[in-house]
Amino acid sequence: MGRRNPLTFVIPLVFLLAISLLPFIWILLASFKMKIDLITNEPKWITFDPTTINYVEIFSKGFDQYFLNSAIIGFSSTFLVVTVGTLAAYGFSRFKIPAGNHLFFYILATRLGPPVAYALPMYLIFKELGLVNTHAGIILAHATFNLVIVVWMMKSFFDDIPREVEEAAYLDGCSHYGVFFRIALPMTLPGLVTCAIFVLIFSWNELLFALILTGGETRTLTVMIPSLVLHTGTLWGQVAAASIVQSIPILIFIFFIQRHLVRGLTFGAVKG
Amino acid sequence: MKTVLDRLSSNSFVWVCMLPVLVFLVVVAIAPTTLAIIDSFRDLSLTQFTKRGEFLALENYRDLIGGDETFYTAVWHTFIFVAIVVPFEFVFGLAIALWITREFTGRRLVLTIIMIPTMIAPVVVGMIWRFLLMPSFGMLTVYLNRIGLFNEISIFSHPITSFAALMMIDIWEWTPFVMLILLAGLTAMPKAPIEAARLDGASRWQILWHVQIPLLKPLIIIALLLRSIDASKIFDTVWVLTAGGPGNATEVISTFAYRTNFIKWDLGYGAAVCLVLAFVSLVVAALFYKVVSGQSAAGVK
Repeated sequence: MGRRNPLTFVIPLVFLLAISLLPFIWILLASFKMKIDLITNEPKWITFDPTTINYVEIFSKGFDQYFLNSAIIGFSSTFLVVTVGTLAAYGFSRFKIPAGNHLFFYILATRLGPPVAYALPMYLIFKELGLVNTHAGIILAHATFNLVIVVWMMKSFFDDIPREVEEAAYLDGCSHYGVFFRIALPMTLPGLVTCAIFVLIFSWNELLFALILTGGETRTLTVMIPSLVLHTGTLWGQVAAASIVQSIPILIFIFFIQRHLVRGLTFGAVKG
Repeated sequence: MKTVLDRLSSNSFVWVCMLPVLVFLVVVAIAPTTLAIIDSFRDLSLTQFTKRGEFLALENYRDLIGGDETFYTAVWHTFIFVAIVVPFEFVFGLAIALWITREFTGRRLVLTIIMIPTMIAPVVVGMIWRFLLMPSFGMLTVYLNRIGLFNEISIFSHPITSFAALMMIDIWEWTPFVMLILLAGLTAMPKAPIEAARLDGASRWQILWHVQIPLLKPLIIIALLLRSIDASKIFDTVWVLTAGGPGNATEVISTFAYRTNFIKWDLGYGAAVCLVLAFVSLVVAALFYKVVSGQSAAGVK
């Protein structure tokens, strides 16, 4: 089995880290380079004069406002879709819903068409409702295409909860609400956190809907990055700096949430 | 049926569960789709953006299905793309998930780093690789040139190499996504069957094949399903890196639909494009869904 065999541990580890990290490190370095160090025949890993000019430049272009917009939109749409989706997943898992299979399938369908397919109709509807260029509109749009991830994954986690645990709670006089909040939800917490992470990332990183449904004061971070590709040439230093600032919150968030991911909460209950 | 409804009305919690999602779907899915269907029967270009254009009946659909070669090329490219990247992402993702379930110091940090390609925005991924593979001056281009590759032609000027590059970037970007879904399943997996198999003298491969993979099946199907759907909709990276070029060598469904809607502003025709695609994906999804429910009926648990 070779638990700490260097061949099966160190080599894959180094390979994985290098392949995941090097492109990102390269863009990180680029964010601290002057134009003269960016476009060279000899890749400069260390030999360049670091500068913060790229960061200064992007923040002078209203980057902080876009950052705040992305945060508001990301967290709100995650909260919305995890609430709606987890309840639905529990409903599908536990109760006989009339036409439930069709509904379950329709939820999948919301994510099927290319986003381009929904972008224009959504724009027209939201224009009627006065939701264009508001946070509410883009929050709804982002929640829509994330619904299927929450519903499908959470249903699978709820399905995995042993029946006996909930039946015991009912026998002890617990209500449906009690069973859901005190038993089912805590037991599926690792799954719930995984879902929330994905949903937040997809919203934070989304470009197409943000381009169409936000504007002016509600624009997001991802809209700004491609706007640095000018026909006179790409501002690579600023693209790099913007990419780094856009990416860092996610890196930090994921790192601190890891422990919930790997906590094997669900199946300890039955054995004990 | 009556008994089901009786049970429902006596249990208000079912409504708490299902009502939010029903309202949500009406607002964000059913209403826009209805509007798209109406638009697809019309001649709706930018000049008639604010009012509904001339009624064309099925003409948009006839033009599209009957004779739009670019459309069929885009569909074919997308099919090839999905058929190649998804199996790679699954195999690599499963391998990494199994590898990383072991305990070691710094595991959380390693997991975080491995997740970087999936976590960063597709737009950023596209920009990073555009920067790395830039003709002559990209970091990767320089090293590839030194070992004698792509000296005459740049990667994104040749149909085959630009398509292959997009695939490799997609695999780089999305393998960790598959990994994390499978890892969540492995983490939540009961330890008893694995222990039992080990006590019975099963090898590691036998445990993987006969115990872990069957238990993982629901999550494997979800991972494959979501990746296939998402890969078929790839847009951001392609748009940033090749914009469908050279020529239409890397034109995929989404870039085609985007071009129709937001470059040519042919919105009625674009709506028809999108609905045809949505319909095709519905058929594909129906097949997948049948597989999924067939499994729970067979009682995998």
